[in-house]
Amino acid sequence: MIRYFLAAWTAHLRKAPSLFLLSVLGVALGVASVVAIQIINQNAIGAFSAGIKAVSGEVDLTVLGQTTTFPEELYSQVLATEGVAAAWPLYQIDVALADRDAFFLQVFGVDLLSPVRLPWNSSPADLSQALFEPGWIAVTPSLAQEMGWSIGDSIVVTSGTRRVQLVIGALVDFQKVSPLASRKLAIMDIAQVQGLLGTSGRIHQIDVQIQEGTHREALILRLQNRLGPSVQIVTPRQREEQAADLMGAFRLNLTALSWISLFVGLFLIYTSTQASLLRRRLEFGLLRSVGATRAQVFGLILGEVILLGLLGVILGLPLGYWVAKSNMEMVSATLTNLYLLQEIDSLQLSPSLYVLAAAIGLGGAIAGAFFPAIDISRKNSKNLLTAFTLHEKANSLALPLFGMGWLVLILTALWFWFLGHSWKPAGFVLAVAVLAAIPLLTPFLIQQICGRIKTRGFGLGYSLKSLAARLQTTSFAVSSLAIAVSMLLGITLMIGSFRKTVEVWVQTTVQADIYLTTPSWRAEPEATLDAELVSALAGHPGVVSVDRLRRLLVSIENKRISLVGVDMDLSGGQSRFPLLKGDRMQVLRNVQQGGVLISEPLARKSELDVGDLLQVYAGPGKLEFPIAGIYYDYTSELGSAAMDLAVMGEIFGPGPINSLSLYLEEGRDPERVVDEIKARFPDTPLQIRSNQRLREEIFEIFDQTFAVVRILQMMSLLIAVCGIMLALLVLARERISELALYQALGASRLQIFRLFVGKGLGMGLIALGLGSAAGTVLAAILIFVINRTYFGWTIQVYWPGWPVLQQLATILTAALLASLYPALRASKTPAVELSRDDLQ
Amino acid sequence: MTATPALTFRLVSKVYDTFSRESRFALREVSFDIPPGLKVAIVGRSGSGKSTLLHLAAGIDVPTQGEVSIRGRNLAALSDRARTLVRRQEIGLVFQFFYLLPHLSVRENVCLPGFIAGERASEFGERASELLEEVGLLDRAEDNIQELSGGEMQRVAICRSLLRKPRLLLADEPTGNLDDANSGLVMNLMLKLASKEGNTLVYVTHSAELASLADEVWRLQSGVLNPS
Amino acid sequence: MTFSKAIILLSLLVVLPVIASELEWQTAQPEYSWSFPQDHWARSGYRNEWWYFTGHLSSRENPERRFGYQFTFFRIGLRPELPPLESQWATRNLIMGHAAISDLAGKRHIFSETLYREVSFLGGFGSYPESLIAWSRAPAGTAGTWELHWNGEGFDFEMQDQVQGIAFRLSTHPLKPLVFQGPNGYSRKGEDSRAASQYYSFTRLATQGSLTVGGETFQVEGESWMDKEFGSNQLAETQVGWDWFSLQLDDGREVMFYHLRNKAGATDFAQGTVVSETGEVQYLKPGEWTIQSTETWKSPETDTQYPSRWRITLVRENLELEIVPQLATQENRSRILSDLYYWEGAVTILGSSGERLGQGYVELTGYGTGNLLPSALN
Repeated sequence: MIRYFLAAWTAHLRKAPSLFLLSVLGVALGVASVVAIQIINQNAIGAFSAGIKAVSGEVDLTVLGQTTTFPEELYSQVLATEGVAAAWPLYQIDVALADRDAFFLQVFGVDLLSPVRLPWNSSPADLSQALFEPGWIAVTPSLAQEMGWSIGDSIVVTSGTRRVQLVIGALVDFQKVSPLASRKLAIMDIAQVQGLLGTSGRIHQIDVQIQEGTHREALILRLQNRLGPSVQIVTPRQREEQAADLMGAFRLNLTALSWISLFVGLFLIYTSTQASLLRRRLEFGLLRSVGATRAQVFGLILGEVILLGLLGVILGLPLGYWVAKSNMEMVSATLTNLYLLQEIDSLQLSPSLYVLAAAIGLGGAIAGAFFPAIDISRKNSKNLLTAFTLHEKANSLALPLFGMGWLVLILTALWFWFLGHSWKPAGFVLAVAVLAAIPLLTPFLIQQICGRIKTRGFGLGYSLKSLAARLQTTSFAVSSLAIAVSMLLGITLMIGSFRKTVEVWVQTTVQADIYLTTPSWRAEPEATLDAELVSALAGHPGVVSVDRLRRLLVSIENKRISLVGVDMDLSGGQSRFPLLKGDRMQVLRNVQQGGVLISEPLARKSELDVGDLLQVYAGPGKLEFPIAGIYYDYTSELGSAAMDLAVMGEIFGPGPINSLSLYLEEGRDPERVVDEIKARFPDTPLQIRSNQRLREEIFEIFDQTFAVVRILQMMSLLIAVCGIMLALLVLARERISELALYQALGASRLQIFRLFVGKGLGMGLIALGLGSAAGTVLAAILIFVINRTYFGWTIQVYWPGWPVLQQLATILTAALLASLYPALRASKTPAVELSRDDLQ
Repeated sequence: MTATPALTFRLVSKVYDTFSRESRFALREVSFDIPPGLKVAIVGRSGSGKSTLLHLAAGIDVPTQGEVSIRGRNLAALSDRARTLVRRQEIGLVFQFFYLLPHLSVRENVCLPGFIAGERASEFGERASELLEEVGLLDRAEDNIQELSGGEMQRVAICRSLLRKPRLLLADEPTGNLDDANSGLVMNLMLKLASKEGNTLVYVTHSAELASLADEVWRLQSGVLNPS
Repeated sequence: MTFSKAIILLSLLVVLPVIASELEWQTAQPEYSWSFPQDHWARSGYRNEWWYFTGHLSSRENPERRFGYQFTFFRIGLRPELPPLESQWATRNLIMGHAAISDLAGKRHIFSETLYREVSFLGGFGSYPESLIAWSRAPAGTAGTWELHWNGEGFDFEMQDQVQGIAFRLSTHPLKPLVFQGPNGYSRKGEDSRAASQYYSFTRLATQGSLTVGGETFQVEGESWMDKEFGSNQLAETQVGWDWFSLQLDDGREVMFYHLRNKAGATDFAQGTVVSETGEVQYLKPGEWTIQSTETWKSPETDTQYPSRWRITLVRENLELEIVPQLATQENRSRILSDLYYWEGAVTILGSSGERLGQGYVELTGYGTGNLLPSALN
């Protein structure tokens, strides 16, 4: 049987390579989209823990501040705690390379005199230099190579408004101990980091090694008691979980998208399996009639499908890796922009991914073929040799399936209404129900739409009508395209609405003429503006008023959020915090008396409302603020809070400003003032943007955030287009007799070509209609359910007409293009093929 | 002056490649002229080359050697497209297995050649009704094909073949899939309609009884044609 | 590649001297002008400095419970000046504490250590006239500090290590006056006159206080020996270690001598001092004493073979001494710096007929492979 399998398989491959290739491609694309997202997801977490591992080695516990930093004296307290075998202090700061745009080094300040494990083959001379050569820094070999740095070279970095010259002192290959570690990691002695780049007196982290035989939980408790509430003590696992938690919503959404791609991919696999089975039913019938058992036929089918799946996996893995790799930077930017996490710098394929890919590809292929295979192996040989009845089954099943589709929708809606709405992932259940309903509704819709068309000629109407003839083949292709369309449209509507909402929000909130911060803004709150500079700018010609913003990180329920202090009474600045809730005048009064404003995501996620108390851990300890209002904010998914700058100074003590916005007198050209400021402070690292430029950048970040989503959309669309092509190829092959009949009746090759293009177009149109309807529902679910629970933003619904039209046109064009090759094949069908019995 | 023959075969041979190296002659140097209006029945055993002869006559297949002409036009000299047009204009085909499209209604099946020819429905709608009337199926015009019996299906197929008033009607075992009662009925109907429309008719059958209804009966034996 | 503290100390010991020569460290001078008590405190202009206490104690309640102890603070100078950085961690010194208890009845020797940057919350050095001379926080896992104070006439010091289960808190006062080791406290370490340190001792300090070992705390009393040394260039490149003896004879005399060994194991340079019962000092000249090691002991942990019994002849004093370790296993092994280990132990002095003549402490460094030297240099 194996020999037969191989012989038959190679013969079929030779006979219909395009069919086979399309099937493999379908599996590969499905596998790739899931694998790509999983790679990105795993490596996002991996990058975080790799950074930790590279610098801290295998530590048992880590002491972290409730805010970013804590007093370094606590280091002594940690050492004094019974059960601590060793402890290492750590200062961490991101600095910007002066001659590069937004290129950050993640500098870790460690006690180089402590037994820290570093992958550094240092000579003692290095160490003495590391401690005492001003600006000594160790970077990764890969970064040095990329930048053309060698040992002894000077580089200039900026931290806040400080410009600092550093010297490459050593190359330390962190990636060797921790392959996922970023190439942008750098090490300096803690004294140098604090003195040159950061601030003294506070550190970010203490790594703890536990004394052998010490009970970990007990030690955590002892540490917590000794160190007080300004810090939290976490295990490496908990840190990873916190990071995973932080980007959980983002990852979840990506994962959901990738599973939809897989879902569409499975349809393709199913369709192609079906196609191959249909094609070969005579062969199976013959095998059965010459004595092959059912199990043998079943095995034969399964063998072929497994081979198909395997090839798909082999192709899909590198494809997924490639997709992940080419999107890494964008995802990384999102993670750092939105979640203030480590950059992803390199990718690694974990063994679990191979397993996942194999499971998806093989599982999908087998699932797709299982029932048809059973069906075929069960049929007696006579049935197989004569008429094939599957299609008739599809015809008679169309209505029950349609009913089932509606049942799924209605039951899910009822469930959500009465039970599910309080459950966080309920939105995804809704989305899945909508997507699941599509293939159920499709056959009946095709049957009804196509069946009812009165043919008036051999044109598009005829093409459409003929779609109903092979309901099963067309249904699968149409469903998968419809799913892809609904996804595409749903997400486009969501993103479009979101973008428009942000646009309106930006118009209200970004009103100053010039925005000024430091190039190392990412290290906020440590990236600060020099106080003299701030007052100098306030007096700059043409500047009417200055809006100063001071940012602190505080923690709420172990999550860090930004607490910003601004002058709430600033004239002309009222719109900076568009209120979701609260009377503006009343809110302003309350804020000046010590109240805070909280952002919408914070309000939703922490279930806080006006009048509640916001409890935070901050530098001075546990603090409580009355919530005066809730404002719209789209800058952070994690949430933020705002208070009056003067009040902030009273509570947290005076501190430096992180960014400024300048209001200019009427008629001043902001771009010109920007140039003036740049010219006036040539040696001060500043990031100055005009109002216009800032708005543009906001949208650059916005688009970047959704770039991956678009890639996924494209992939599922591609899969769906493959599906159309496959379905048409199947039709061209399966319906040879019909085509021959047309020829016999005098149809030209061009007419048959057109007939097939018409079929492709028809499938595209039906899928478009169905997909648009489902996509709109999906968009509503995304906007009103999923977004609200996971991100907490209010998104106003806008119908982005032009992009939607563009996309619909794209899809139709894609369907058309997909039909060209099958149409060509079909038009070449010789009329002599008119000797089969397939027409019945 | 004799009229141009409706169908001419000149030394037509058709060879199929087989898996063994030898070639198999389906037709061997067949020559004949069929004058317009003549009704010819071709009989022979299965494998004698009857279907091949019809396929060649319809321009669906091309001969290995020799010349097939429809009203004096050598099909081999025509392009594929021109050959298709000749088929569209001049020839009506009836098949043993009817070859009706299940997703089309009775009327639509009859109208299919009209659709393909790109004619306006008004031009052949009437004609289709007339033909269906003739075969007694007008009341079933909007029915689904699957609801018809075999005899009814073949009657629809005959209507389809006659829709565009072809000069040459070719029928390949038109009753091969029907019971005796239906066979007679369908055959008579086809002959009656052919006479009425003035078609030249060539049909293949293995029934001597049905063959006898033709003007001439030719016997095909191992690819060689013998008038009987 | 593991970055271990060994490398740090290596750099301190090997490389920094090279760099040190470019830096402006003060060097030991024969005509150093001493000023007490100020000179008991840290002299930060010099690269290295240490306060070394060794002694013999016994329980007041149960004199059979006898203990040897060692307590040392090292100041390891990284730079003469503080680097101009605004950071607590910017430092010019390291502080290293070593302490050990030899529980002679319990036949155990327990060692503890600390090593920190001079950072206000980790350790540092006081200055005259406050009493604090040096301190460091206790080893990781132990609350509290190690401290050394001047009490007006002697030294008070304390250490604790919960993990090792030892602690002591001792107060001393001198029974005999301060002694310079070498003329005017200028102690040569080699033929090169620059290889030297400033060195003085209290050869007999009455000592009392409390001592904890193995969960038991004892009120103890006894006698100690204190050395203080500071300098910048002490060990020559050819020298790998030393044998150092501090002997307190029951007749009231004290003897100190050291042998600096070269790579071949031979004596490269040696010096000695004899203090009379009344405190007169005599510096021994080469040839005025002989020393012969008669037994060896091999450490099972470090595989290092140490001499472990000696016969010493002091010709002019007419002394024949047999030096016998009170416990063989008095090896100090650092946990922070895996390459740092040395033998530092209590010894008994016997006469030629086996009678007890006194007690002392012996330090043996530079034995074994890749061994670092504890007191940074000498």
